[in-house]
Amino acid sequence: MKIPRVWDKRNLVLLKELTKTDFKLRYQGSVLGYLWALLRPLMMFAILYIVFAKLLRFGGDIPHYPVYLLTGTVLWSFFTECSQQGIQAMVGRGDLIRKISFPKYIVTVSTTLTAVINLLINLVVIVIFALINGVTPSWTWLLVVPLVAELYLLALGIAFLLGSINVKYRDIGSIWDVIIQALFYAVPIIYPITMVAETSVWAAKIILLNPIAQVVQDIRWSLITPATTTTISFMNGWAELFAIGLVFIIFVIGALVFRKRSRFFAEEI
Amino acid sequence: MSKSNQRTIGTRVEAHDDNNEIAISAHGLSKSFRLPTERSWGLKQALFNRLRGIKGYRDQQVLDNIDLEIKKGEFVGIVGRNGSGKSTLLKLLAGIYYPSAGEIIVNGSLIPFIELGVGFNMELSGRENVYLNGAILGFSNAEIDAMYDDIVKFAELGDFMDQKLKNYSSGMQVRLAFSIAIRAKGDILILDEVLAVGDAEFQKKCNDYFDSLHGKQTVILVTHSMANVKKFCDRAIMIEKGKIACEGSPEKVASAYEQLWS
Repeated sequence: MKIPRVWDKRNLVLLKELTKTDFKLRYQGSVLGYLWALLRPLMMFAILYIVFAKLLRFGGDIPHYPVYLLTGTVLWSFFTECSQQGIQAMVGRGDLIRKISFPKYIVTVSTTLTAVINLLINLVVIVIFALINGVTPSWTWLLVVPLVAELYLLALGIAFLLGSINVKYRDIGSIWDVIIQALFYAVPIIYPITMVAETSVWAAKIILLNPIAQVVQDIRWSLITPATTTTISFMNGWAELFAIGLVFIIFVIGALVFRKRSRFFAEEI
Repeated sequence: MSKSNQRTIGTRVEAHDDNNEIAISAHGLSKSFRLPTERSWGLKQALFNRLRGIKGYRDQQVLDNIDLEIKKGEFVGIVGRNGSGKSTLLKLLAGIYYPSAGEIIVNGSLIPFIELGVGFNMELSGRENVYLNGAILGFSNAEIDAMYDDIVKFAELGDFMDQKLKNYSSGMQVRLAFSIAIRAKGDILILDEVLAVGDAEFQKKCNDYFDSLHGKQTVILVTHSMANVKKFCDRAIMIEKGKIACEGSPEKVASAYEQLWS
């Protein structure tokens, strides 16, 4: 079994150049350029804030609710962007794959890294918002790093798995778009999880076993308020381990399927 | 599913053995493609076919049991009609396709030019494309920095490097691509029909470049030009219907090639 040389100098240079190109091209020809990386989640936040916080009065008892909501929307945007673009990465770079031999995972990683850069910019905005909103900085803020890594690993695993099937069956990309829509309501972004728990404890438990919900709630807990209901606080450490374990399982399966299929990408694409 | 649904896979090995004077060898090399039969593309049809036990594809044998040996420093031409399988052979040697059966051993680093300007992006400037294409060919930024001026000079594009590539003429694009490509340093060069680029003056530069490779580097050249085969190659191979039809001196292969139409 040959392990890909992830740190091979040649591969790293290629990864860097492809990421740079993707990032440059993403906002090419738009007047506001890179600002869109910030504006998109902020606008989504503004809409959700008006509808859910002001009109429907969700989250009345959650401290710093605007920042709480913003964090959720930014993390959701990241997951959506990362998985959707990761799935389409092979098809989008078919020109390269057909003409030169190189480790294909570089394309998936470089495409998703654009989403990571966007997330990092947005996290800075969240921190500024949090400070303005009166959140006190804490050592728990550092937990955001491994939690974001977990979410990225999940998105990358999905991108590897579905992206390698999408090379042959382009329906996968469209199916995933629909799943993403449904998933949005299965994750406590716009509604507080406590609202679900009031009606059905079981439903809340199932929601919190979803790794996306686990990451979103844990980041809110570590960044904004310890009053957040997390997978651990609502259930126990085993539930948290289950969610994290699921991420690793999806990633490993995705990586293995991708590696097995990638030798046929050049002829199937 | 039945065993016939399993793809057999050959092997491709990369080695770096300085004592071995063979650069590339292939034994029993075969390649077949799975071509979808009518209306079998898409997930719905694939599931439908599976339920009804229809294969939904047929195997097209493109290369059949090829044996090949290329020594270090040899300049070998590969010729054949359109659709004979020569481009597939090149892509197998370059590692873009995996063989269906047989074995390829590549000894040394290999630079494939299946096409010039791989990864070129119309929305980027000439300069940015040099760095991008360079990275694809395996150069670090520092290495490109060092040869950047030479690339621009050779391509004769001094005033255009900050223009977007979409504003280049096709000749200018090819000149830029070629100028980067010839900087690539590898033990084995694989070239596919990239000779015919640019105007007469630029062609002369290209020919000088191929002359300079002669005897120093292992080169595999796929071409339709028998003049080039006779001019540059030490040996030539003709592929016809996925098999080696003729092999030997450039003159012998060139006349066999011309007989294909008589």
